[in-house]
Amino acid sequence: MKPKFLVVLIKELRETLRDKRTLGLLALFTFMYPLMLGFLLNKTIDRATKPERDGIEVAVIGVAKAPTLMAQLKQRNVTIIDTGALDEEGIGELLRSKKYPVVLRLSDKFTENYTAMRPARVELWFDSADENYTQRREVEDVLQAYGANVASARLLAHGVSPATLAPIQVQRFDTGTNASRSAGFIGSILGILFLPAFICGMSTAVDITAGERERRSMEVLMAQPARAWELVAGKWLTAGVLAILGVTLELALAHAILSWMPLEEIGMSWALAWPDLALVCVASIPLCLFAAGLQIALAMNAKSFKEAQSLLSIAMLVPLVPGVVISMMELKTADWMYMVPMLSNQTLLREMAKGGEVGLWPVAMTFLSSAIAAGLAVAFASWRMKSERYVLSV
Amino acid sequence: MIEVQDVRKQFGEVKALGGVSFTARDGQITALLGPNGAGKTTLLRTLIGLLKRDHGTIAIDGVDPEQDPLAVRRNIGFLTDQFGLYERLSTREYLAYFGELNGMKGAALQTRIDEVSELLAMDDILERRAKGFSQGQRIKVALARTLLHRPRHLLLDEPSRGLDVMATRALRHALTALRADGCCVIMATHVMQEVTHLCDDVIVIAKGHTVAQGSPQELCRRTGIASLEDAFVSLVGTEEGIAA
Repeated sequence: MKPKFLVVLIKELRETLRDKRTLGLLALFTFMYPLMLGFLLNKTIDRATKPERDGIEVAVIGVAKAPTLMAQLKQRNVTIIDTGALDEEGIGELLRSKKYPVVLRLSDKFTENYTAMRPARVELWFDSADENYTQRREVEDVLQAYGANVASARLLAHGVSPATLAPIQVQRFDTGTNASRSAGFIGSILGILFLPAFICGMSTAVDITAGERERRSMEVLMAQPARAWELVAGKWLTAGVLAILGVTLELALAHAILSWMPLEEIGMSWALAWPDLALVCVASIPLCLFAAGLQIALAMNAKSFKEAQSLLSIAMLVPLVPGVVISMMELKTADWMYMVPMLSNQTLLREMAKGGEVGLWPVAMTFLSSAIAAGLAVAFASWRMKSERYVLSV
Repeated sequence: MIEVQDVRKQFGEVKALGGVSFTARDGQITALLGPNGAGKTTLLRTLIGLLKRDHGTIAIDGVDPEQDPLAVRRNIGFLTDQFGLYERLSTREYLAYFGELNGMKGAALQTRIDEVSELLAMDDILERRAKGFSQGQRIKVALARTLLHRPRHLLLDEPSRGLDVMATRALRHALTALRADGCCVIMATHVMQEVTHLCDDVIVIAKGHTVAQGSPQELCRRTGIASLEDAFVSLVGTEEGIAA
């Protein structure tokens, strides 16, 4: 005879697979997530590998008015593009096209003022919403240096030491690299790779517990010759199977995308082989089962379908907390991290991605921590289903 | 055979059952009469072991549902006040699900589904999914589920509500056949006409107590009232029972 929990599992799966909304959501999270990840990383790599210094192109209006300034700019590796006369709208247009980080406009009286030693105006047009901050800074520095040079020369001509004008000297050193800037970003992305474990089974978990009760078929089911734990186990495994499917597909897709990208460019590594990935997937099976068990237990206890839904959306965020706290406090990987479900999976994946030998112990801990939690959740749900209070509420 | 002796059940302060005793015999259809809130649902749930009684004894073919609920449920067909259909399953799949939960399988199960479907004249909806079923079609499917595993005992909570004339006749026909087979049927209902036509025995409960048990004729004789409905009102005791 077929075990009762298997009968329930098969029926619930069949019913779920006929629900287009649930399937759509499952597909969305399985496919969208890695693709989004790939897209974001691709942009980061693009930005990181773009040469920062060489090849700044600056549009200049009125090139002929300041030949020495232009020469200085060229010396500092700035390419000058003469655009001819442009009104403000034309400049705005030019900046929006994102071809040039800045546009310089020399005022009509530039030459006149310059020779008369009056301040000669140079307009620096830029778009602060654009991300070319460093390039803009570069151009500004050149302008300032040029101004300082001319000032010094004029002071010298009057017999004053230019040093009097600079009582202090500021020198900037930026130790940040693109790689270190993006490392934090990547870390947070890895952290949420396991989130689908909690998303994929969620709507089904609500539907087959709180939903079934609201549709008033739970009483009929509970009046059948099956034990409470058999019914709970069937429902739990239904949500679990969906979560496992979702996470496995998603991890495989993410792995394919991450292996294909030149991550070294941003100082990250993805030194995972397919067998390693399989190990990560296997270690995440209990996580999925734990997520499903928790959701079944919570949804069963909720008073209504609506309450179950909102309860689970909140519960979905809880497993993210340890990961966020760890990255905020910048804790080093420690053994206890493998004992916290979700965090253990994140840590395991991060350590494996670094390419180091992780060993069997962390994998076993990751596996066991979630498995035990899953068992507790299911035991609680079964105990709850047997209670009179639950019977009265169906 | 279902024997109930002085069963009491209390939820906090609320006394749902204050002492119910009756015997429902095999080969008989026993009506369970009582105003709304008399404790019928609690009684039925206690009979299949979903609720634990505080006091008294229950024996279903000699088995106590509290001791061995699974054995009792295997032998009971329970039609609740809700049908509990699944919208995305066809009638056949629905029946197969509950058949398997009752330990049936394979070809025997499919044959039995066809049998039950013929008995209740529901071949037209057998392969259709439950979404959009009418009230009558829903109750037919639920009834089919109740009869599927050939239980010796049937607990039916208002089985005829929402049925059209043809379906009511089909139901009556099915119940008579089950009685002839020697099944023990308990049927909660509010339709007096059905009771006089169909039932051999009547249990009247009010406010959690058994008020009377006997054949419809006996009840009329005992109260000295000719119509069963008036006799029922007199037994339940004043209009209060009806208002509740």
